[in-house]
Amino acid sequence: MEISQKEENGIVFLAFEGRLDGAAATEAEQTVKSVLEGETNRLLFDFANLEYLSSAGLRVVLGAAKEIKRKDGKFVLCALNAYVKEVFEVSGFGAIIPITDSVEAGIKEIT
Amino acid sequence: MAENSRENESLLLVDDNPTNLQVLYQTLETTGCKLLVAKNGETALSIAQKATPDLILLDIMMPGIDGFEVCRRLKADPATASIPVIFLSALTDTKDKVQGLQLGAVDYVSKPFQPDEVIARVDTHLTIHRLKREVEEKKDALEDELKAASDVQRRLLPKNLPEITGLKLAVNYETSLYAGGDYYDIAKMADDQWGFLVADAEGHSAPAAVMMAMTCALFRSYPNPPMEPGELLYFLNEHLCKVADPSFVTALYVVYDAGSRTLKIARAGHPPPMIYQSAEKKAIEYKCSGVFPMGIDPYQQVPVTEAELHPGDRILMYTDGITERFNTSGETYGEERLLRQLEADGDLEPRDLLAAIMKDVNDFADGRPADDDQALLLAIVK
Repeated sequence: MEISQKEENGIVFLAFEGRLDGAAATEAEQTVKSVLEGETNRLLFDFANLEYLSSAGLRVVLGAAKEIKRKDGKFVLCALNAYVKEVFEVSGFGAIIPITDSVEAGIKEIT
Repeated sequence: MAENSRENESLLLVDDNPTNLQVLYQTLETTGCKLLVAKNGETALSIAQKATPDLILLDIMMPGIDGFEVCRRLKADPATASIPVIFLSALTDTKDKVQGLQLGAVDYVSKPFQPDEVIARVDTHLTIHRLKREVEEKKDALEDELKAASDVQRRLLPKNLPEITGLKLAVNYETSLYAGGDYYDIAKMADDQWGFLVADAEGHSAPAAVMMAMTCALFRSYPNPPMEPGELLYFLNEHLCKVADPSFVTALYVVYDAGSRTLKIARAGHPPPMIYQSAEKKAIEYKCSGVFPMGIDPYQQVPVTEAELHPGDRILMYTDGITERFNTSGETYGEERLLRQLEADGDLEPRDLLAAIMKDVNDFADGRPADDDQALLLAIVK
């Protein structure tokens, strides 16, 4: 699991690469936590290169969504592959977390 | 923790030369440890077995069995294998040092030695040895506690499966660690109606086990017969929201009316049930809309989907530990394999079909242990 981070126009982009499973979840949670400790209240997860997401991975996403909500900010998930998209659909998380097909659409969603 | 008192610790000094032994004795007296001495390999082994010292300083060149052989025998005996050994010898060849370390020694000091160096090394290894022992003791204690939690948890599950008119049941429940987050339960209601709950608290081990126990307590304390599946999940969620953060619990709750053979299904973030339709000889994931998992936010409304069963039909409720079981190549078992298993030919008993499914899952995993809990509840209509 690799997470790369950048900030543009007040949006923090976290790009996930590989597998977000139980083994990777703790580190990912730390990354999200450290990003949200500052002023940041607009967060975009780029899942274009995310291959797999387990229920522990859903916890990471949920934790980020809740923290952003507390900060009255905006959060979006972008560019999910078919498998990851299905995980969000079956789990019902799609109903509470905004998802867009592309990063560009995601930026619009939270700008 | 790091107390400097060494009076409860003992050292065994082994050297065939009385003068060396005396110098070593005087050097290490200052550590405050209890000192034991041996002038040859045989005596050293005998003392080590009887007194299990905390550290052994071992000369290599001795008549009879030499230091290397003493070390080999110490490491081969479970009673003495964990005692750290420091070799002490005039041999300065790298080869000898390597041989000594390969035999399981923790360190090597060349003679003639510097007293301060010997004391410092002994001190370091005594500390490492003590910390290692403490960590092992704590790990054992923790494992015992998790085992106890696991026993309590197993007692929360239904002891027996009920006899239901026209339905045969079987379950399989396995946790990946001692205690887990999966849960199943069956509630008997009036008019031959039955409620089947399969739930999965995110994660495993202690935190998930607490959430599982909480879900169980809430399910059993539901004020009405849990006949309306949507209302039941609404109720569980309302209470889990107060405690789950940042975790969650997925659930599938199905009410079966044995008289009309109809199902009412409610789903919260959980995989939908799989239904084998005997007329079509085909198993499908039964499409039913649902809500997000419990413990996150209150629900507006929980949708309910109905289904009708016929003799020979099979319904499978499961947790994603089955479909997300990995094999050694990193692939998951997946829904398709499970559906094909559910289509197995013949007038099968549920427990035999579940055993066949678990065999298929384990064959697929090819020796890779499960890293999530696995629960399955199977019902076959007679």
